[in-house]
Amino acid sequence: MNHTYVPIKLRTGNQMIAEGAVKAGCRFFAGYPITPASGIYKSMIELLQRKGDLAISSPDEISALAYCVGASLRGYKAMTATSGPGWALMIETVQYALMTETPLVIAMVQRLGPSTGGATQGAQGDVLLTEFCTSGGYTIPVLCPSTPLECYELTVLAFSWAELLRTPVVILTDKEVGMTTESVNYEQLQLLHAADRISHLQKPTNGHGKAKTYEFTRLSDIPKFAPVGGLIKVTATGSAHNKSGELKKNDAETLEVLHHLEEKIRLRKDGLAIVKRDVDPEAETLLISYGITARATEEAIHIARKQGKKVSGLHLLTLFPVPEKQILNSLGKVKRVVIAEENLSGQYRSVISHLMKTQEVIGVNKIGSMITPQEILKEVL
Amino acid sequence: MTGTIPTPTTFITENCAMPFCKGCGHTHVLRKLNDALMKLQIPPSKVNLVTDIGCIGLADALFETPHTVHTTHGRSTAFATGIELADSVLSDSKLKTVVLIGDGGAMIGLLHLVNAALLNVDVTVLLCNNFLFGMTGGQHSAFSPMEFITPTTPDGNIIPPIDMCRVMLDARAEFVARKLATDKDLGDVLAEAIQHPGFSLVEIVELCTEHATTKNELTGNAIRSVIEEQGQEFGILTNEKNRAEFGVLYADKNPRDQAFSASQKDDGLIPQFESKLKHQVGIVIAGSAGERVQSAAKKLCEAAVMSRLHCTQKNDNPVTQGSGFSLAEVILSPHDIFYTGIETPDAVIVVSEDGLNELYEKHVFDRLKPTTMLLIDSSLPKPHTDANIIEYPFRKEYGGAKAALKAIELYVQQSGLFPVEAFQTS
Ligand code: SF4
Repeated sequence: MNHTYVPIKLRTGNQMIAEGAVKAGCRFFAGYPITPASGIYKSMIELLQRKGDLAISSPDEISALAYCVGASLRGYKAMTATSGPGWALMIETVQYALMTETPLVIAMVQRLGPSTGGATQGAQGDVLLTEFCTSGGYTIPVLCPSTPLECYELTVLAFSWAELLRTPVVILTDKEVGMTTESVNYEQLQLLHAADRISHLQKPTNGHGKAKTYEFTRLSDIPKFAPVGGLIKVTATGSAHNKSGELKKNDAETLEVLHHLEEKIRLRKDGLAIVKRDVDPEAETLLISYGITARATEEAIHIARKQGKKVSGLHLLTLFPVPEKQILNSLGKVKRVVIAEENLSGQYRSVISHLMKTQEVIGVNKIGSMITPQEILKEVL
Repeated sequence: MTGTIPTPTTFITENCAMPFCKGCGHTHVLRKLNDALMKLQIPPSKVNLVTDIGCIGLADALFETPHTVHTTHGRSTAFATGIELADSVLSDSKLKTVVLIGDGGAMIGLLHLVNAALLNVDVTVLLCNNFLFGMTGGQHSAFSPMEFITPTTPDGNIIPPIDMCRVMLDARAEFVARKLATDKDLGDVLAEAIQHPGFSLVEIVELCTEHATTKNELTGNAIRSVIEEQGQEFGILTNEKNRAEFGVLYADKNPRDQAFSASQKDDGLIPQFESKLKHQVGIVIAGSAGERVQSAAKKLCEAAVMSRLHCTQKNDNPVTQGSGFSLAEVILSPHDIFYTGIETPDAVIVVSEDGLNELYEKHVFDRLKPTTMLLIDSSLPKPHTDANIIEYPFRKEYGGAKAALKAIELYVQQSGLFPVEAFQTS
């Protein structure tokens, strides 16, 4: 078929995450069924198997992520997808990936918790569980799309970040973003390119090359990757280790490595922030939102402005590292910050409210169904 | 192998001091593993040792030349499986991966052992069974013999030990062996296991001299008889090559870069009709599972897109997808759609009793306005509502499977959202 037009397709967020992953060069997917994330699993089976790349079922979520870490250590971009109950099982291996600086992408499609919770109602209740799942509280980059288009774009980006930072990266959506079918204009898909896996040069000359698996000079440097099976010997370990990957207790170099794991992300946090700002310089109310609730917030802003109200919006497409600078820059004359999210305690609000030194911070929270524009509008004075 | 890669003289670090207690079986195992690798003369870059937690997990630090991946407790086989899956399907490197795991880890990771065996990935597991958790103080494990005395079984173990070799045989492993760490031919058996294409497991029965020998009479030949009295055999229990490795079977089924088949054709929609719609509308369609409600709603979306509209569709059904109600919520708009929920529907289409009941359950009829068009099958009791009710015998006329489709078509006609040809084309 010869296309002279750009087609519009009906796609779910889940499908667009899968398409984004393939676009980003993902060649390995291990999956375990769980609503509302199963659509990604199904799409990856279709897309990767067709190319002769590997998409495989695993006997549980623990294995799914361990297979992905293995594939990534072997040198290939890998992804899995799950929801809260599966994430709970994966946390051990997420930490392992972080400690071994293994690039990895995990799509986390939230549903109502706790425990097995509601299959399948949407929720935004796993924000803190996703980010703060490591002993020591290391920063895991979390991207948070709200539309199928953003699902595609942010997935490509997630793979880039995973490669460039050598770290696990999470794409956090929910049932409503993941499973709602929408018309997607493919013309709007930016021609994105994800960073390649940059490996040490592998010259088959003097036998087995030597290099430190976790070598860096400045704390924020990213060690060069060498695949298991390549000519440079890899010494990978999930235990506290020095730059050579040797298990050590509390020696200076080992503590330096632990600092480095956080510093490599922290020092780049301004560059790792993506937000959409919809600013009215006169506004005294700022609506901060993310994920599915950002769409209700955008509609609320639209209605409020029609009613002559001055209001600004800040839609966060990345939640972690916290886009502090972008949030602070949006405060201006704002007196009141409203943060709507589909959980009871205001999880993300608890993370960012310390930034609002002089503003009143209001939460719009509920569980069981999407927050409506009207519910948000009530808080716009 | 190419001449540029020198022949290895050792894999284990030369003259390395073993960190294990005097007489610990692990020392034997690692020396024999080195012998096996030497015998096979695999280039070190094609050898990958994946270690677990526990005393045997210290092994990675002792090997100078092969790749080493030190993992979490019990998970070593799962990481090894991932490495080998990628190696066998995505590369042509033919990496040899050896897992070193203790009896504690083997029970945590039982699922991973079983799955690796079923997949038949090229992983060799050396299961170092010394009947207990050595590193943490000698607690009993799932491999402890009956009456075994440990700090956690002070009066003797009362739970029978697992026969992991038998589990592996049932998981269709094609190379399974049980050996003593002190067996002279252990190195040869390990070499055979590593060379075996696909999964292999060697259980190596050995002594934790620190914890196992003080309260239990286990020295010398005693461990051999302990195992035999449990009805477990020594030696190579199976050595077959009937099943192809996972990577081979996968590549057969999924050749690289296949041409797109007809079923995988581009499913883009071409805008070719015009819509008069000025505002966003929300449509709720309710019927029964198996009566193509959601696929009819999808057709509505396709027609809308062909008429230059934006759309969203949410489906809902009971957890057991094949019974009860089937629901679809469709939003159509000439503009971008933000919020994807429907507060007050502009149209409600009900074609079965399951659907009707579900709409009552969701209090949909309480939220209708006089301008809402309610299309309902004539067989159903009419709800009390302000909406503009249109009855039609969809089920009687077209049958259950087409009722939703025909009701939507009628709605498209009545509402004039877009030309009905768009719906018929889609
Ligand atoms: S504690 Fe037991 S298993 Fe560990 S090194 Fe000592 S003898 Fe070996």
